[in-house]
Amino acid sequence: MFNGFSHSVMGASHEKRGIVCQDSSAYKVGEGFAVAVVADGHGSKKHFRSNIGSKAATEAAIETIEAFYKDPDAFDENFKTRHKQIVKCVEKQIIMRWNEKVLDHLDNNPITPEELSKFGPEEFEEIPHESYYGTTLVVAVAGRGYTWGFQIGDGSLVAVFEDGETSMIMDYEESNPANITSSMCNAMAATMFDSFYVDKKRLLCICVSTDGLYTSFGSDYDFLDYHTIIAGQLANPDAFMPSLQNNMKKRSRFGTEDDISVACVYDVELATANNDIIKAKIAENKRLAAERRSNLLKR
Amino acid sequence: MSKKKKDSSPEQAANTQETAQAAADTKPADDFDDMFDFDDDPLGATGVSRKSLVIFFLIDTSGSMKGTKMGELNTVMEELIPEIRKVGEADTEVKIAVLTFSTDVKWMYSEPIAIEEFEWARLSASGVTSMGAAFKELSARMSRNSFLNSPSLSFAPVIFLMTDGYPSDDYKEGLKELSSNSWYKFGLKAALGIGNEANDDMLAEFTGNKDTVVHAYSGNQLAQMIKIVAVTASQIGSKSMTLSDQNDAELSDEDVYAAKQKMLGQQIQELVNQNDSDDVSFDTGW
Repeated sequence: MFNGFSHSVMGASHEKRGIVCQDSSAYKVGEGFAVAVVADGHGSKKHFRSNIGSKAATEAAIETIEAFYKDPDAFDENFKTRHKQIVKCVEKQIIMRWNEKVLDHLDNNPITPEELSKFGPEEFEEIPHESYYGTTLVVAVAGRGYTWGFQIGDGSLVAVFEDGETSMIMDYEESNPANITSSMCNAMAATMFDSFYVDKKRLLCICVSTDGLYTSFGSDYDFLDYHTIIAGQLANPDAFMPSLQNNMKKRSRFGTEDDISVACVYDVELATANNDIIKAKIAENKRLAAERRSNLLKR
Repeated sequence: MSKKKKDSSPEQAANTQETAQAAADTKPADDFDDMFDFDDDPLGATGVSRKSLVIFFLIDTSGSMKGTKMGELNTVMEELIPEIRKVGEADTEVKIAVLTFSTDVKWMYSEPIAIEEFEWARLSASGVTSMGAAFKELSARMSRNSFLNSPSLSFAPVIFLMTDGYPSDDYKEGLKELSSNSWYKFGLKAALGIGNEANDDMLAEFTGNKDTVVHAYSGNQLAQMIKIVAVTASQIGSKSMTLSDQNDAELSDEDVYAAKQKMLGQQIQELVNQNDSDDVSFDTGW
């Protein structure tokens, strides 16, 4: 049986500038699957409705995944042999659904004089309507005996497997040091997704997060260790949630001051049964972190 | 905190759970510090990292630097560290990486070190000036898979070259390789020529701009120039510039980095001119 959680905190820099949280997060546990989703609205001038865009993206993702799992047994059978094509299909449908949502929103909520006042007439005309709502999207799905996910734009996916192995499934894009973000609002969005599929290892939990979480760490090791610690707390999630929420606020305040969102889905039985294995892994991670630190200062 | 149930039917509600959260807590900032003071934070084992910036120093340690130049450079670099530390005190974590080049190229530490922990290891001079090899080594390390692997890295690096002579290897080949590195392209670059033999035109090839090249002809000037360039570059490098110009039109990332490089050149020239004062004699020589 799967369970999950999601949480978003507003970035300290957004508070200072008086703008709303641009992140959205959600999760859903359905029959034969659990999905975790986060989206990070771009928040810059021309993406002035990206908080609504990010919420629309999480909704579009969950609705689409849910529709694909309408008959979970049939989906499982098809997916194991044709996952590449099906993932592409899911991505395209999410883009279509998101476009419908944001254009509906625009129909029902026309541009206000205040929104318009920030642009010159020609400048505003050049912006495609869907760009007002520009956002990233990161999705992870835990299925029965397999795990998959995809993302467009910044954000992270971290899986913790039954033996405590913790890994970032999709790597940083080296060709993009200036952080130019791929976006749901891009005309070529359907071609800009990265995706993964794993069926060889049993999943304990998978977390998706917006960029604000990753950038609050000094190293990838710390980022991964953080997720192993989360996995170690899932045997008693209710007691852990206040700690996680507090820690996310702390990270936003003292880190890069960005919004932070985390969504996670996990295998309830495995989180309890393998708790000792995960705890041992956490202790080992602590030892390795101390070792790395002492090596760092050697000339 | 607002939580919103989104299940559309009782059937779904019976076997699914969903939360969606677009807006987050907006408690006043003053309350936050107290909220973080709790004993049992399992996630506290992994520290929070501030926005970070790496400053690369490329230092010529060839034989011609022997004596006063190297002695002065060692002294000023020891003094400089606390000054750069102040730059990072606000909200930026500054890391330092030092690459020396003579016959061989060598890093002072195996990776960038946080300024709070950085200790200057005194350098000595000997050998020839393998600047092209240093450029290649820098290019190899300025990568997300190497020295720039910190998730908290928020700014393009500052790269500060110091040399007293002409390269003894094919520096153009090294510079060509370095020029294809995106971090170099977007980085803030400055150079210091030390003594009469240093070639400012060649240094401007490295920085891409004559305004970010300075020259020191004496020990006092060397100390002043290193401090001016390093501190100014660190301040500008760690500045979060808005992505819009005075007309509120959006600027590209390239425009932002070009604006920073221009600002660095202007500020360095202003400070250098202010420091062309009587107490620094060009005649003191080396």
